[in-house]
Amino acid sequence: MLRVMTAASAIVLAAGAAFAHHGWGSYDAAKPVTVAGPIVTSKYENPHATVTVRSEGKVWTVTLAPTSRMSTRGASEKVIAVGKSISAYGYPSTATPDEMRAERITVDGKTFEMR
Amino acid sequence: MTGEAPAIFVALEQSDLGAAIRQSAWLFPVANVGHILALVMFAGALAVMDIRLLGGLSATSPARVLMRARSIAIAAFVLLAATGFLLFTAEASHLILNPVFQIKLALIGLGLANLAIFEFGVKRAVTDLGPGVAMPASAKTAGLMSLAIWIVVAACGRTIAYF
Repeated sequence: MLRVMTAASAIVLAAGAAFAHHGWGSYDAAKPVTVAGPIVTSKYENPHATVTVRSEGKVWTVTLAPTSRMSTRGASEKVIAVGKSISAYGYPSTATPDEMRAERITVDGKTFEMR
Repeated sequence: MTGEAPAIFVALEQSDLGAAIRQSAWLFPVANVGHILALVMFAGALAVMDIRLLGGLSATSPARVLMRARSIAIAAFVLLAATGFLLFTAEASHLILNPVFQIKLALIGLGLANLAIFEFGVKRAVTDLGPGVAMPASAKTAGLMSLAIWIVVAACGRTIAYF
């Protein structure tokens, strides 16, 4: 009985680890988009920073990285301040329209990796 | 998505506490790591209890094993609930609509109900048993249910961020 349960637990854990791979879930990695334009709103918050960006007549919500990672990589609160011009490359949400998860952003000619 | 959430969860997220958790450099990470450490503690204590109910660790009487592990499990659960509340508050309006989070909440309820059934019923059948005595079927069922429920709760917790 215990042996069966141990095996069952191992399977659940292994499945969990496999599913936890990047790209799984509600972002479509097959259709990367680049959103470029001025930052309309900016939240430098946990669990991850977000900005909204006006681009080609739409306002995109761009999900960035946790603030600790952002600041480690030089993407401080000032870098993503309202009014700055940003270019974000990433994957569009399949659940929320006009939302994307950025893989990297470019501001003032500097590129910051988000993953 | 935020618009659909019940007002109380929107209010919780927009509270000063919610803002503090999101804006602090350390509060969210501390709650995050604390939640996992509490989970490790909880899972360990719980596994000992459930394995004893299933007939393992039979060199010691069930009452002794259950009593020792129980206080650790309770302390760990309090810590899990507290850190979980902080993590939830930061994004309450999104999380409450997350299907995996909803399953997790329901399973926590089921786990606690299973515990209540044990505490107020099954427990009497095992408290006076000595070491090495076979466990009654009701105790085995309670142990197996508990293990299964809490493993899925943990798996749900890890999976919330991906939905």
